[in-house]
Amino acid sequence: MARKKTTPTFWGYRRPEGPPGGRNHLAIVSGMDNSNPIVRRIGGLVRDATPVNTSFGRALMGEDEAQHWRVMGHTAAHPNVGAVIIVSLEPKSANAIAEVAGRTSPWMPIEAVNIQEIGGTLSTTSHVVELATKLSAHLASAKRVRCELGELTIGAECGGSDTTSGVISNPVTGMVADRVVEAGGSVIFSETLEIVGAEHLLARRAADRKTARRIIDSARRAVDYAESIGVDFIGSNPAPDNIRGGLSSIEEKSLGAIKKAGSHPIVEVVGVGERPSKKGTIFADAPCAGVENISSLASSGAQAIVFSTGIGNPIGHPISPTIKVTGNPRTARTMAENIDVDISGVMEGTMRIDEARDLLEKELIDVMSGKLTTSELLGETELTVSRAALSL
Amino acid sequence: MSRALMMHPKDNVATVLEDIAPEQNLEIEGNEETSTITATEAIPFGHKIALRKIRSNAKVLKYGEVIGTATKEIPVGSHVHVHNIKSTRG
Repeated sequence: MARKKTTPTFWGYRRPEGPPGGRNHLAIVSGMDNSNPIVRRIGGLVRDATPVNTSFGRALMGEDEAQHWRVMGHTAAHPNVGAVIIVSLEPKSANAIAEVAGRTSPWMPIEAVNIQEIGGTLSTTSHVVELATKLSAHLASAKRVRCELGELTIGAECGGSDTTSGVISNPVTGMVADRVVEAGGSVIFSETLEIVGAEHLLARRAADRKTARRIIDSARRAVDYAESIGVDFIGSNPAPDNIRGGLSSIEEKSLGAIKKAGSHPIVEVVGVGERPSKKGTIFADAPCAGVENISSLASSGAQAIVFSTGIGNPIGHPISPTIKVTGNPRTARTMAENIDVDISGVMEGTMRIDEARDLLEKELIDVMSGKLTTSELLGETELTVSRAALSL
Repeated sequence: MSRALMMHPKDNVATVLEDIAPEQNLEIEGNEETSTITATEAIPFGHKIALRKIRSNAKVLKYGEVIGTATKEIPVGSHVHVHNIKSTRG
């Protein structure tokens, strides 16, 4: 197959250090659930402020608390964020999240605000509006510059999967992931339960033994947990509706899911919201549920997420633009406002698979250059942090 | 013509993109050149067709990987599913 001579470039925001952004959000990040109402309110009061709500956050212990701070801190310090205000109930969590963010993006203007010390809803709201207005003026002069495809880390997620996911939208997502990796960038994929059945095949793609072992261990941990709550995961998959849809074995089901990550060696395994230390194809040991998964992918540094869907799902991430791609003609028609890239022509014989790949790659470039996704336009964005107490 | 998608050049099955009737001809896409095959039996949308004869106990390949083994000989053009292949994961 003829390869393109030039690698495509996008127009992004160059940062003093680290990868460029495709957005320049003034993020108002909530430290815990009780701070969400104030954060939401700022979104309505300050033009261009992007509220980022969270789940839980209060009374967490040990690894659960560390994971919460890591995900919120890495989200605050995301390449698509130009400046951030962290709002939490009390100083410990606000400062802990600000500390993670500062370590990740030392160049970023970061403010940490806590409701108890400032004193109540109205004073905090007024204080954050004042801070946000100043930061907003500071961000307004930023300009987009030409950036390389290889400076990208993309997340690959599949949700609302059906037959078309495994044969069309996941493979096409994988082809675009391969192009990003070949240009020097990264793709992060996860959904641990979805690799079960094909983890032995995935482990063979690991770049080294340690990575192979972590892939196998991630799958085993998920299967063992399912067993401990009385679920025979391997024995119950493929499920009866999968079999009706044409899936004959758990390997086939998992291989279809894994296709979204392309074909390159897996260089590293990271935990929920952890930033990889290597470039290339990365596996994140994180739960499958859409919002949890995209929250983890974005926190791990994905500047954009390709979300492959069969029967459809409207959701996107507030900071990492989430590109919905479907190969299902019915979904493309009935959920048109939630679909960014319609490649259902492959199903209907009007589009070749390489044309579908080029269309998705062009959308990725356009979105990273400023084009809004359907979930951004509709405000269909959400974030939630996986609990370390084994959410699968 | 009706179509089936072959996911990898090594595969011995392809996924049909519409409900297929016995004796129906299909175009196999996804390889460098397209080829045609005749279905020997009905195959529902999203299910698999054998691209060549698969002997009993032979590996069934999709995405270039093993998705199971044949539990009986599968003639070319037949429906490949849980009635004639099984997982290697037991």
